[in-house]
Amino acid sequence: MDDKTVRTIFYLSRLKQDKDGSEKIKNDLKAILEMVNSLKEIDTDNIMPLHNPLEETSRVFEDTVSSDNEKSLFLENAPESDGDYFIVPKVVE
Amino acid sequence: MTIQFLTISQLSDLLKNKKISYEELVDETFLLIKKYSSINSFITLNQKQALIDAKKLNVSNDQNSLTGIPIAQKDLFCTKGLKTTCGSKMLSNFVPPYDATVVSNLNSAGTICIGKTNMDEFAMGSSNETSFYGNVHNPWKEGFVPGGSSGGSAAAVAAGLVPAATGTDTGGSIRQPAALCGLTGIKPTYGRVSRWGMIAFASSLDQGGPICRNAEDCALLLDAMSGYDEKDTTSLKIDPTKINNNINEPLEHLNIGIVREFKQSDLSVDSQQLFSNTIKEFENLGAKISEISLPNIVQSVPTYYVVAPAECSSNLSRYDGVKYGYRSSNADDLESLYVNSRSEGFGEEVKRRILMGTYVLSSGYYDAYYKKAQQVRRLIKNDFGNAFKEVDVILTPTSPSQAFEFGSKGKKDPTELYLEDLYTISANLAGLPALSMPNGFINGLPVGVQLIGNYLDEEKILKLGHYFQKETDHHLKKPNLEGFA
Repeated sequence: MDDKTVRTIFYLSRLKQDKDGSEKIKNDLKAILEMVNSLKEIDTDNIMPLHNPLEETSRVFEDTVSSDNEKSLFLENAPESDGDYFIVPKVVE
Repeated sequence: MTIQFLTISQLSDLLKNKKISYEELVDETFLLIKKYSSINSFITLNQKQALIDAKKLNVSNDQNSLTGIPIAQKDLFCTKGLKTTCGSKMLSNFVPPYDATVVSNLNSAGTICIGKTNMDEFAMGSSNETSFYGNVHNPWKEGFVPGGSSGGSAAAVAAGLVPAATGTDTGGSIRQPAALCGLTGIKPTYGRVSRWGMIAFASSLDQGGPICRNAEDCALLLDAMSGYDEKDTTSLKIDPTKINNNINEPLEHLNIGIVREFKQSDLSVDSQQLFSNTIKEFENLGAKISEISLPNIVQSVPTYYVVAPAECSSNLSRYDGVKYGYRSSNADDLESLYVNSRSEGFGEEVKRRILMGTYVLSSGYYDAYYKKAQQVRRLIKNDFGNAFKEVDVILTPTSPSQAFEFGSKGKKDPTELYLEDLYTISANLAGLPALSMPNGFINGLPVGVQLIGNYLDEEKILKLGHYFQKETDHHLKKPNLEGFA
């Protein structure tokens, strides 16, 4: 895992790459990859990936109203709101 | 009268016989929790509401086995109006507007929610050392880990503060802390217990379950927790379990398998000896023991550390500082709001897993890692299918060793700690039910064995656990808590 790859995955994860900890996280990820590389030795030709252990397909919900509008309740947990909307830093100049 | 260390059944008898009132039981519980607060097993207490709930019960006469029983909830089950942190700074101010189905099921059964237990951050850890709210001490020895991620739940029950607690298990997070704290815990079949309102870590692996003092209490709690939930799209369309009423039914001609591929060298000499003793104890109970082969089981840990981080990176992408949870005060624009909120809100282990998951899901690596791991996962599941044609239950150790000191594992290389779940992870990958129960002590610290059952065979493994516990006394031992008071 080179420095460029590490930078890319930090960016994709929306996490800040801490200069002091860069070498540590790179070594940690290398150690984990070394551990999981043993999977490459397993013959998986013609084996279907298993996504749900019980092979069940997730059901879909009927599109029905199940409860009242609880906007104000949900907005109570927002770090910043104006009572109707979530507030974020200005996006458009 | 002390209520400390009593089981659900014992407390229920006291309540039914009016030896103690619901309110007295709640009061006594909070006195114990405060007395032993240095264990750090709770993040948030629910004292005011618990007393209100107890008073309501005094008015009604609807007494069943769980009515008025104090229960601790792992702090990743959403509780309406009660802070739910998931052990993270990210959710340090999150007050859910709804109850998880597990919580509402237990409330409906008459239990009283005492509080929310400490845990590894977002359930990522095997030692409870990744919690933003500090380490939890193992009640059996100060300065030693209780296991994780449901470490607070296990510690609270082991210290006798509550008779039972909920846990969740993605790779061993109910069973390993149960083993390290001398308790019994069960991870049910995937889909048996609703995941709605259970804060997601790895959605194809996560499953809730109980941690109790014995298998009988686990049956009682699982009966109340389980059942179909239309709000969880992976919930199995089956009735709740009804195991407690049948738990004393005899088990006959039971074949127990021992896994050939688990090397004796993975265990300490003492653990090997205890495991051999347990095999003999089962033989003495009339079980037939035979060796079985699970050829791909040694790939469980590598498979897990691709699948679980991948699902984690996806699930935790929702924490962006906008709708709920921690928001950095140091943001100039939307991008820095996301990045700074996540970087300041998540701890080191969570970040490591997000990065690992992002890597294995990223373009160019998906097939080599994620798809490959999901293929090996199928091979592991197939191995179990073949094994269960020969045996009814599979017996393994629960963890490689007893509890260890804070900071002694995984500091230089995180994979050292990942191997704690060597024996437990395969049941999550295959979605099978598995129980851990105590089988002895090493240097005064408890260890456990695991019974893995076939799909929906919770009744079989709980009955077997109960049968074992009727004939042995490993689960009856109690820790000396003098150092914590």
